[in-house]
Amino acid sequence: MASVTIRNVQKSYGALSVMKGVDIEIADGEFVILVGPSGCGKSTLLRMIAGLEDITDGDVLIGATVVNDIEPKARNIAMVFQNYALYPHMTVRENMAFALTLNRTDKAEIARRVDRAAEILSLGALLDRYPKQLSGGQRQRVAMGRAIVRDPQVFLFDEPLSNLDAKLRVQMRTEIKELHQRLKTTTIYVTHDQIEAMTMADRIVVMKEGGIEQIGTPLDLYDRPANLFVAGFIGSPGMNFFEGEAKGGQFVTTDGTVLPLPEGHQTLSGKIVYGIRPEHLTVDDVGVAIDVHVVEPTGPETQIFGKLGGQPIVVALREGPAVVPGETLSLTPRLDRIHLFDATSGRRLEVTTLGRAA
Amino acid sequence: MRPSLMKQVPLFIVLLLFCIVNLTPVAWGFLTSIRQPVDAFAVPPKLIFEPTFQFHWEIWVDKGFWRFLINTAIVSIFAVTISVSIGSMAAYALSRLQSKAANGLLFSLLAMRTFPHILLAIPFFVIAQALDMIDTYPAMVMAIVALNQPFTIWLMRSFFAEVPGELYDSAVMDGCTPWQTFRRVALPIVKPGLWVTVLFSLLLAYNEFLLALVLTRQGTKTMPVAIAEYGAEDITYWSLSAAAAIGIMLPILIFMLFMQRHLVRGMAAGAVKG
Repeated sequence: MASVTIRNVQKSYGALSVMKGVDIEIADGEFVILVGPSGCGKSTLLRMIAGLEDITDGDVLIGATVVNDIEPKARNIAMVFQNYALYPHMTVRENMAFALTLNRTDKAEIARRVDRAAEILSLGALLDRYPKQLSGGQRQRVAMGRAIVRDPQVFLFDEPLSNLDAKLRVQMRTEIKELHQRLKTTTIYVTHDQIEAMTMADRIVVMKEGGIEQIGTPLDLYDRPANLFVAGFIGSPGMNFFEGEAKGGQFVTTDGTVLPLPEGHQTLSGKIVYGIRPEHLTVDDVGVAIDVHVVEPTGPETQIFGKLGGQPIVVALREGPAVVPGETLSLTPRLDRIHLFDATSGRRLEVTTLGRAA
Repeated sequence: MRPSLMKQVPLFIVLLLFCIVNLTPVAWGFLTSIRQPVDAFAVPPKLIFEPTFQFHWEIWVDKGFWRFLINTAIVSIFAVTISVSIGSMAAYALSRLQSKAANGLLFSLLAMRTFPHILLAIPFFVIAQALDMIDTYPAMVMAIVALNQPFTIWLMRSFFAEVPGELYDSAVMDGCTPWQTFRRVALPIVKPGLWVTVLFSLLLAYNEFLLALVLTRQGTKTMPVAIAEYGAEDITYWSLSAAAAIGIMLPILIFMLFMQRHLVRGMAAGAVKG
């Protein structure tokens, strides 16, 4: 096991720069998830850590060693790929043993390690099968087994669950998390699915266009998103945003609806973006009225899609209110759950930074 | 899902017609080889005759055609081994290099295939003569390898192109050297395709007529040339050359029967997907 340090890492293809100076400190044993929309550079960063892509500038350290010029096999890391990348001509056992066979590990030792990994992942009965005889979930487990067998310092996962159906994905999510709790190996995991990130990670790195938007624990990102992008990316359904102006201790949307400002922000003035998560609105007779367009019960909660003034709004309510499309619903945002962002920079406005923002 | 019977019947009829059209000459050849020339060329065709294997015996034993078959086998085996070995290595490299130079190379290989064989046969003759290699096995083998190399490279490349890139990444992570990635990951995955390539290049080498005509004399003469020499002369020899032709068909037929399982897998789409 080891820590991983990414220090001002850059990547360009010729004149095209796709990553502009990324810094991440990953502690020994930590489970870190890189998340972001496609093309944000998360997979490229993972492949640079693995050694499958050259690093244009900056350093990647595993433990205290700069590994920029060390070839992948000498980095002592294992990687699980999106399409499993199992060797179709080898049995499960041969797939798992392949890396050890290549570095001429003793046969008895290989057998011992494969059996241990098979036991951890309940693959014992499948060892003599070929990948084509396995289901998607089983293949995924073999791919993980192949990584475990090597007993690496770092596990890398590149969107490992995106080819599984929804139910299996949830199950494998738990399995991967359990595996990490058991082995405590430093893990870096790439996904575009924010729910995966929220449920599994110790810390999440949100990326966009080759840069880092925010690094933090799942609840950090949920409670205190650093900017509009993170606020919109984390959470499902996504946060509601209203454009408008702060004046006289209130927020007035562009179409004139008045919303309350949280404590400490009453002196704020100027153009801002007002954010509130769907689950942080409560039904309240003295609140603001929204036009209800669609009502979607999901079971544990009811999602209501409508319009606040001219702007779309989503509300998630625990207690399904008796409303039908076409009616109005009176709502109040929870004051302690309101997020305010600078309209031009998109950055979060903290109470402490008020002086500067205003 | 199993296609319905309604769809299978027309397909069956088409395939049957196809087989009849293709197999009739072979059947006719076989009938010619077991009849006296007089009967073979009777008009209208004589359907009742006394079958005889005397021509088969005569051509293989008395005329010593077994020597030409051995020549053909030696030349084919060496040519196939060399051209498939070089072909798979080159194809693997070209499938992984995404450079303009690699594409240029591939298209120049294809262009070589379009040359008429006679255009190449003459320089081969001149070269072989200059090196005093006329009527030697290496001259024939090298000429056939040179002629078939573009084909084996293109065919193998299409099989390597189907191997998902992640497998190569995975091999690198597992610690494969470039050679091990080729030998232990890529090559076993395209094995069905490798057998297809072996078969096709074997057919090309085994049937090669023009180069053999130009480059061989009595010592290394191959079957196609030997048969042609008989067939051309006189109607009385046609039963003999038919017997020889049927004879050289058999080894390839047997090879194909043994390889059938591999060949079907190799020709099926998506053969390398796990």
